[in-house]
Order: sequence, then C-alpha cells, then structure tokens
Amino acid sequence: MTARYSLGIDIGGTFTDVVVYDHADDRLFSRKLLTTHDDPARAVLDGIRQVIAEDAVPAGEIGRVVHATTLFTNALIERKGARTGLIATAGFRDIVEIGRERKYELYDIHIQKPKPLAPRERRLEAVERLRFDGTVLQPLDEAGVAAAAQALADDGVESIAVAFLHSYANPDHERRAGAIVEANHPGIAVSLSADVAPEIREYERTSTVLANAYIKPLARDYLDGIQAGILNAGVEAPLLLMLSSGGLADLVEAKRAPVALLESGPAAGALAAAYFGTAEADGDVLAFDMGGTTAKLAVVDGGKPEVAYHFEAAREKRFAEGSGLPIRTSTIELIEIGAGGGSIARLDEIGLLKVGPDSSGSDPGPAVYGLGGELPTVTDANFALGLLAPESFAGGAMRLDMAASAASLERLAKAAGLTPPEIAAGIRDLVNETMASAARVHIAERGKDPRRYSLLATGGGGPLHGAEVARKLGLKRMISPASAGVASAIGLLIAPARADRVATIAKRMDQLDWQAFEATFAALTESANRVIAAAGLDPAASTVDRRADVRYVGQAFEVIVDLPPGPYDAQSAPALVKAFEAAYLAKFTRTPPAGPVEIINVRVAVSAPSRAAKASGAGESGRTEKQIGVRPVWSPADKDFQATPIYDRYALRPGDAFDGPALIEERESTLAVPVGARFRVAKQGEIVVDFEQRTAP
Amino acid sequence: MTDAAFDAVTLEILWRRMISAADEAAKTLQRVSFSTLVNESNDFACVLTDATGASLVQNTESIPSFNGSLPLTVKHFLDVIGVADMAPGDFLVCNDPWFGTGHLNDITIAKPVFYKGSLVAFCASTAHAPDIGGKVRSVVAREVFEEGFAIPAMHLIRKGEPDATFFKLLRAAVRTPDQTEGDIWAQVTGLDLMERRLIALMDEYGMADLTAFADEIHGRCERAMRAAFAAAPDGRYEFECDTDGLAEPFHYKVAVTIAGDRVHVDWTGTSKQVGRAINCPFVYTFAMTSYALKCIFLPNLPNNEGVFRCIEVEAPKGSLVNPERPVAVGGRMATGHYLPTVIFGALARALPERVMAASGSPLWSIIQTGVNKDGKPYANTLFFNGGSGATAETAGQSCYSWPSNISNVPIELTERNTPFFVESKSICAGSGGPGAFRGGDGQEVVLRHAGDGDIGVIFMAERLRHPAPGFVGGGDGATGAVLIDGAPADARADHVLKPGQTVTLRLPGGGGYGAA
Repeated sequence: MTARYSLGIDIGGTFTDVVVYDHADDRLFSRKLLTTHDDPARAVLDGIRQVIAEDAVPAGEIGRVVHATTLFTNALIERKGARTGLIATAGFRDIVEIGRERKYELYDIHIQKPKPLAPRERRLEAVERLRFDGTVLQPLDEAGVAAAAQALADDGVESIAVAFLHSYANPDHERRAGAIVEANHPGIAVSLSADVAPEIREYERTSTVLANAYIKPLARDYLDGIQAGILNAGVEAPLLLMLSSGGLADLVEAKRAPVALLESGPAAGALAAAYFGTAEADGDVLAFDMGGTTAKLAVVDGGKPEVAYHFEAAREKRFAEGSGLPIRTSTIELIEIGAGGGSIARLDEIGLLKVGPDSSGSDPGPAVYGLGGELPTVTDANFALGLLAPESFAGGAMRLDMAASAASLERLAKAAGLTPPEIAAGIRDLVNETMASAARVHIAERGKDPRRYSLLATGGGGPLHGAEVARKLGLKRMISPASAGVASAIGLLIAPARADRVATIAKRMDQLDWQAFEATFAALTESANRVIAAAGLDPAASTVDRRADVRYVGQAFEVIVDLPPGPYDAQSAPALVKAFEAAYLAKFTRTPPAGPVEIINVRVAVSAPSRAAKASGAGESGRTEKQIGVRPVWSPADKDFQATPIYDRYALRPGDAFDGPALIEERESTLAVPVGARFRVAKQGEIVVDFEQRTAP
Repeated sequence: MTDAAFDAVTLEILWRRMISAADEAAKTLQRVSFSTLVNESNDFACVLTDATGASLVQNTESIPSFNGSLPLTVKHFLDVIGVADMAPGDFLVCNDPWFGTGHLNDITIAKPVFYKGSLVAFCASTAHAPDIGGKVRSVVAREVFEEGFAIPAMHLIRKGEPDATFFKLLRAAVRTPDQTEGDIWAQVTGLDLMERRLIALMDEYGMADLTAFADEIHGRCERAMRAAFAAAPDGRYEFECDTDGLAEPFHYKVAVTIAGDRVHVDWTGTSKQVGRAINCPFVYTFAMTSYALKCIFLPNLPNNEGVFRCIEVEAPKGSLVNPERPVAVGGRMATGHYLPTVIFGALARALPERVMAASGSPLWSIIQTGVNKDGKPYANTLFFNGGSGATAETAGQSCYSWPSNISNVPIELTERNTPFFVESKSICAGSGGPGAFRGGDGQEVVLRHAGDGDIGVIFMAERLRHPAPGFVGGGDGATGAVLIDGAPADARADHVLKPGQTVTLRLPGGGGYGAA
C-alpha cells in the first residue's frame, strides 16, 4: 500500500460519487454524477475518466479501489433479480413460504406476507437428512439432486439456492449438492445456505440464501463488467467491495455472496461518520443521515459502528418490522426511518398530525417544487419557517413555487385549527420527534444511554434537523463534516480492511471441549487473514477481535459478547462467563437466577488499518464574506420568528466561532444552529455545534 | 403542561413515546425469556394503563386476546388489592382465568407506577408460562382445580422484596421450575424498563399525572370508533354456525346490532358450557369481540380503552362463552378463536368489504410432557397455523396466524430441544377454499418421537369436521386431520407416544371470498 492515490466509488439510488484521495498531499478530488440505471457502470467509469483527465491523477498510481453500491438492494425491492430455484431437504421446500406464521400488523385483514423469491414450482427437494448435531441420518441422494437441478434448468432458472436442514452444523451435503449442480450446469449460479448464513433457524437461513441466489447473476455480471472497465481506464489495483458489515471483500468473495453487500452504501456512510466523529467526539457518535424520503441512524462507539447479525430487506410494508425478507448476515446496525424532506404531513382520522412515512418523492415532490404536489411536506414547512430560502436552495438553481407551498400549509393549518407557522413548526417538531423516538428505541435496545453521544449529521436534511433531534435526545453536541455530500465515498477510503467470520458451535460452556473451541477460533482467524492478504494488506499487522453469541441455557436470543484475546483453555472459563455477565447486565439491568451458559456462535473479526485520510474540504474556495445576510427564522424555543444571521459555509475557516441562532448555507444543505447554541469550525473544516444545557420545558 | 391542552402535535408525540416504551419492554421480555412460547412463538403482550387500569398503549406486535384482557386484570388488582396496599417497588401477579386471560397458563404481572408520591399508571404484561402444572390443557379436565397452579391476585414482590414462599410453591407445582420462574423474572425486567421510560417522559413534559392525556386519547378513539359505527347501516345482523365441539357440535350464535353510534354484540343462543376444558371465560370473549370490531371499524388506529368503551357484549351466564366456576377452561382459545369469524359472518351482509372469510383457526398446538435424558421433567408447546381467510381485496395467506398472532418454533430448535424429529412440514396446496379470492392454504406437519421413553401429548386441533366457511359466495376451506401412525386419532383425548410413533397434523385451509 505505497501507492499515492485511493479511489472510492459509491452508487446510490440518485447519485454516483467518485472520489480520489491523494495520500501524499492530503487532497480530495470528487465527482457527483447521476446514477445511470440502465448501465450503472457508465456513470462510474465516466467519473473515473473525468478525475483522471481533469485532476491529472495518473491511473497507474491508484493503489486501492473500494466500491459500495445499493444496486443489489434495489434489485430485491423491485424484484428484478434472476429467475431463481431452490433445492431443499425433502419435505421442506415450503419453509420459505410458510415463514414464521405471524402477522406484522394486527388489525389489517388485507395483510399480505412477503412473497418468496422462488415460487413453489421452482422449489424442489432432495432426499437427505442431518440430525441437529450435524451427524448424517440419511445420506444425500445425489441422483435426486441432479434430477432437481435438471428440472430447474429446464424451467430456465439462472440461479439455484441449496438449503438443507441443520447445514449450519455440517455443510457436507450442501457442498456436495452444489458441486453436482455446478458440474451439470456450469451456467447456473449456485448458493449454499451454509456458506452464506451458517446459523440455526431454517426459515431465516433459507430466506438469506435465496436472496443471495436471486442477486448473484446480476452481481457477477455487474462486478465483472466494472472490474474490466476500471482496468481499461488504466487502474490496475484490485477492486474491493464494501460489505454491509463495513468489512471488505475481494471480487471473488463479493460474487460468491453478494447478499453480504446489500447495505454496503449505508455501511460506508456509517464508517465515514465514525471517522469524522473521531476528533471532536472521541468516535462516540450517532451517525444521522437525512435525505428526501428516509433518515438513517447508526450508533458508533469509540469509532466502531455497531454490527448486527440480521436485518430485513425489501419490506412488504415500508418500515413495518416483520414485513420483509429476513437476511442473516453481518450488517452495520442502522435503522431506517420514514422521515425525510419529502415526508407528507396530514391529519389522521382523529385529527392528529402525522408526518410520513409516505413521501412525495422527487416527482411531484414537495409543493414548493411546483410540480403539482399539493400536500405539504417537511421541506415546505422548512421554507415557511425561514430555514430554507428560495435564493439559496440547491445553490439557487431550482425554480420554486412559494405560493403553492404556502397554500398547501394553509389548508392543513385551517383543518387543524392552527396558524400556518404553527402547523409548519408542528410538522418540523413531529418529524424530529419521529427520528428521535426511533433513535431512542434503537439505542435503548442496545442498553445504552443516548446522552453520551454527539450527533454526526450528514445528508441534505441532517444538518437542518440535527440540532433539534440532538436536543430531544439530550445530546450536547452536533458535528457536520465538510464534504458531507460525498461522505459515504470518503468512508470507503478510510475504512480499515476488515474480514468477519462466524461458526455455530451451540455448546454449553461447562461441557466445552476447549481444544476444539480454540481450534475453531484459529480456523476462523486463518480464513479471515486470507481475505486481508488478498486485499494487499499484511495480516501480521492486523488486529483480531473474538466475539461469541452467548445466552443462558433455555433462552432463544444471544448477547454478543466481546471476548478477551485468545488462545483459550479450560482456565479461560471464568473470564468468558464474566464477560458474558457484564454484557448481559449492561443490556438488561438484571441477570436471572444463575444458570448454565451456552455459546451458540463464535465470531472473529480481523482488521488491518488503512491509511487515514484528512479529507478536509474546507478553505478551498476563495470566498471571504462569512455572514451573507439576515432573515427571520422560526425559533422553537421562543415560538416565534427571530432575526437570524446567515453564514456562507465556503467562507468559514477553522477557528471561526459564532453564537446561534444562525444558518450556515452550502450547496447541498443548510445547517441550523438554534438559539442558545454556539458553533465553531474545527480543524478539518467540520462544524461543531455545542448546545447550552436547557432544562426540560 | 398542566391541563388538557393537548394540540395535534403534542398528543401525537406523547402517544408515540408511550408505544415505544411498550415496544422496548416487549423486546426486552422476549430476549431474556427462557421459553419458546415467548421467545419464538410470541405468546405475550405488554400494556401500559392509567391509574384506573384503562389501557393507554400496547406493544405493536402483541396478540389480541391479551390486549383485551390485560387492562381487566389490572382493574382486578385495584379491586382486590386496592391502591392503599400498593407501593413503589411492588409487582402484582395473577393467573385467575376469570380475571386473567381465560386459563391458568398465562401469568399476568403488573407494576404500579408512582410519580411524585401518587399512583399514575400500571406497566403490565402477560406471558404464557412454559408450564403451570396440572393436566397441561388437556380437554379431559372437568374443573379448573385439575388444570394447574392457581395464583389469585397477590403481591409477587413487595417494595422490591420477592415473596420467597410464592416462588417455592410455584417451583414445586410445575414441571419446568427454572423456565417458569425465569420467565417471571423476564416479565419483571421488561416492566422495569417500561416504568423508567414512562417516568422520563413525564419528567420531560412536566406531566403530574396521565389523567388528561388518557382522557384525550380515549375520547378521540371513542369518537372515531363511534363515528365509524354511525357510518354503518343500522340493523340487526345475525350469524350462526357449528364447530367440531365434543360428541355433539358446538353451536355459535351471534346478533350484532348497529344502532346509530352503538354496536351491541349478543351471544345468546350459543351452546351451554361443557364439563371439559374448552370453555371460554368472558374476559376472553370480550377480548375477541372487541378485536373483531376493531378490525372492521377502526383498523388504522392504535388500540386503547377508547375502543373498549364502545364494546357492548352480552353472553349468557353458563354458556360456552361465559362459563361459571369451577368449570375447566384450559383450551379456551379452541372456542374463543372462532368468535371474530362469527362476528364477521354477521356483518358480511352489512359491510362485505370489511370482513374476512373464516380462517383455518383456532390456533393448533401440540403439548408434550415427559422426562428427559437427565431425568428432569419437561413440558413443551409447539404451535401451528392454518390458512387465513380471503377478503374482498386479497387472497387468504397460507399458514398465517389469525385471530391470534403466534409464531411457529423453528424445526432446527424443535429437534434440538424436544424428542420430536420433524419428518416434513409443507403447504397443503389447494386446501384454501375457492372463490374470487382463494382462502389461504393450511399445512401438513409430520413429527416422529425420536427420543427414549414415553411422551404425553395433548392436541389443540379444530375444524377437523367443520371447515372454515367461505363468505360472499366463496367456498369452504379443507378440513384438518390429526393422525397417529397414519390412523385418525381422537384429538380431544390425551395420548401417550412410544418411541418411533409419528403424529401427522394436517391444518385446515381458510375460506374463499366471492364466487369463483
């Protein structure tokens, strides 16, 4: 890793960001292009060519390429993946359709389950059976596998998932079945549940491997294509992919298990937030990204985002827990909230104000866009309250219909018996509460106290709403980085290279074979080290974290425990139990009457630090006039408009400091500093807002 | 905030925060529970009530029966124990079927919440205990005394001090002392959290009590429910049907009268109570009736006392749906789960687009007891769901819990934790009734006793003889079947399985909607 430049690529639903970092001079070059949905590689390669040509970056000196994308998530949501088949244990092909049999909404009689990615006629079976401990009860009927594969091939499938019962305990049957399919049908992609999600609970594991199979051909074609294109542009560094977990994968691993890439874009964003929160918050931040339709929130402790081991993709009903396809892969833990600039405000059937989760999207968009939207949105409220202004919104480049916006709010205000500023303030307050509430439950589920975090605000709406969300959560500080617009892509360049491995052991600690236990950790570490080496990094310089999913015998859910470093032997038992009890107490405040403890999964994370980037975006403009005006802006504390100074972010320099109220405008967003708060520009150009401690109203 | 001045924004924010508190408590209870009934099957609920026991909020993923019964249990605590005998740090407990959830197996725990010296609320939860002793919900029981360990309304913990005698007696009476006690502590952990969240909220908003808030949300929900009643066509709508019953079928009869902004539900004409453990105490009848009316009239709002206030239910004493002590009640859901469908049947004429054809419910289960390899007794319950009914808009869903909301236990956990080996679990294609929209399909599950020693098994299985009727011209779903070693078995009897024997459960399909 002595090359001078790194290249980051982030494809989102709307924009594709291409970022090149010059490690020698700490300079950043970026391009923001519209995502080319028909051929996503086109925008990426255009961006790369532009940076190479216009910023004189020699392609040959780019030593590392890291890529994140939401393409695969979108393929799942839009159901635009491959024609997919399933081969299951005889008697169990319907598991993935039966699901867990529980409604995600109690009173809706028209409720529908998420449809499986393979319909019944493309779910076939093979005779084989394992016991729960992985021993073979019935050997694999290889001819049956071949027949099933042939039938699926005849049906035109492009991808096959294999999911056998108890394969997490013994993957042999799945491996053999996969080999048969591959040998007989080299054109068909094969995914094995034991490879993709080796965890107990057959429905969730099968759902995960089916999702993998569904996007695998798409991932293979896209990734091969973009690798070729990058090579063609003269960049010879290997392409690495950001995983949902924040770890890295090489091309081979990414093509094998693309389901682990579903949340790669948000993961990069959380890593960037972790990085930007290091200097001013010791890395303890709530990463808060608010866009047009959704807000995302992730908890970062000591510079490390929390990692979860399950999430849901492609929810049948937006934001309704339980309505999506369960995915069991390591994922940076983040919540998606139906709250954004386009969230629509209305009164419900009993006259209460609701904001979101339905959104006006970008067409027609908020009423103020003048594209026919008649319903008031959060953005309309922000205009009415003076937080946004037509002359500076989107750099002043957009034509806005202020009359339509005002009319939309007046109609709602009248229905609610409030004045337009009151309803606008209510919309803003409610959307902020929605985000704060979701954050509160999310943080509490982790047994943490929100007050020790700083809010790290990014996205178009993050800086505009962050201060009030922070105040509702009792936080003392908000930070908004420079170059927030391409923060996720920067995250790709500063992420340490990390590889995660997991194995299910499901043993009581008092019955553990310590030698085998230690051997499992060693094997996982070795496997993770291979990925690190493939990323061009030195495994010897990396750190190894051991974790385990532990519970009291009889419980069904585990607590993920950070374990002391190995190696382990029988003498390690008390230390491991102690680590578990401490984690349990921190989360649930009381332990049950002492009982035996069991370890379900063991996990290893190997990480090698990458070269830190400074990523300063400040001070690049020649602008010097810091305060560019004053306008009346609604102050929630005073319940009235207050004359508020407006600052030009491009003219602010590290060391500048002013009192709120204030608005700081830049092209992609406006940062609102409330009355009683003070902001300053820190070393890397990030704006730090400190709140005065206010007592509860 | 000192008076009832809640605007559209503040009220929404407070309400949402309280729902979050109940959701957090539910997640906590589930994660620390020791039984698959709670942590895999979701057989529990968490509710916040005001100081009078009136429901404010429930956890989002709760089950209808407990939402309706929990507030009644809290009111029972107020009646029997009284406010004067409640103090900070107290936890109250009860499993009386007539004041709880209709059978002994569900343990309700409530924590009175004191704020600045006054009682302001109750945090309460009900969870299905892994075992409560007795005959394990065998239909064979005649009297409630045979059905297990009875807990009258009493203190579980007094000012932070657990009642050691209670735990000693409970542990001696049940097959699974560690699990049953462990889940009680799981409930306590969840309630502690709910209380902390409530107090933080009251601090933040300067609320002295919850009276004004409760009045406001109850009033708004009641008005909305009554407005929906008023918008429906007045009339008396009747429906009757037979279900499997015992030697003779059970007859269900309902008359739903819509008159202006009132709806009255009368179960007169329903079969008399029977000397078997399948009677449905009135608390459960009330909960199921209000669930059906909420689905029809106010599906989009959160549930609370404002909805319950609108529910007028009449059920003759001594009937199957209002049985009198000391009759046995263990399998009350095998009668109670029919009630929402019977109400839908009545209102199919008045409001055809708002009802769902009959589902392949009641919920099925198989309860096993025995002695495991370590010589310790165990008890375990597995749940299964048939197909749901179709509606005017959608086909019924295959294997979907309705009206309850209970999950299956994963096969891989079943085989790890019980002597059962699962031979197959598959959808019974075509078992949903035909129609413009088809009913959902049921499932077939084949279990083999792969352990040593005998297992006692008890089935909860319905619609073996009387299928789920289709509505508005839709066809009936297929009936279910219970087989032992391939031969039809008496699902109402207790059975003993020898190693190697198999059980086949074939769950009924849901009814179709509209002519095909």
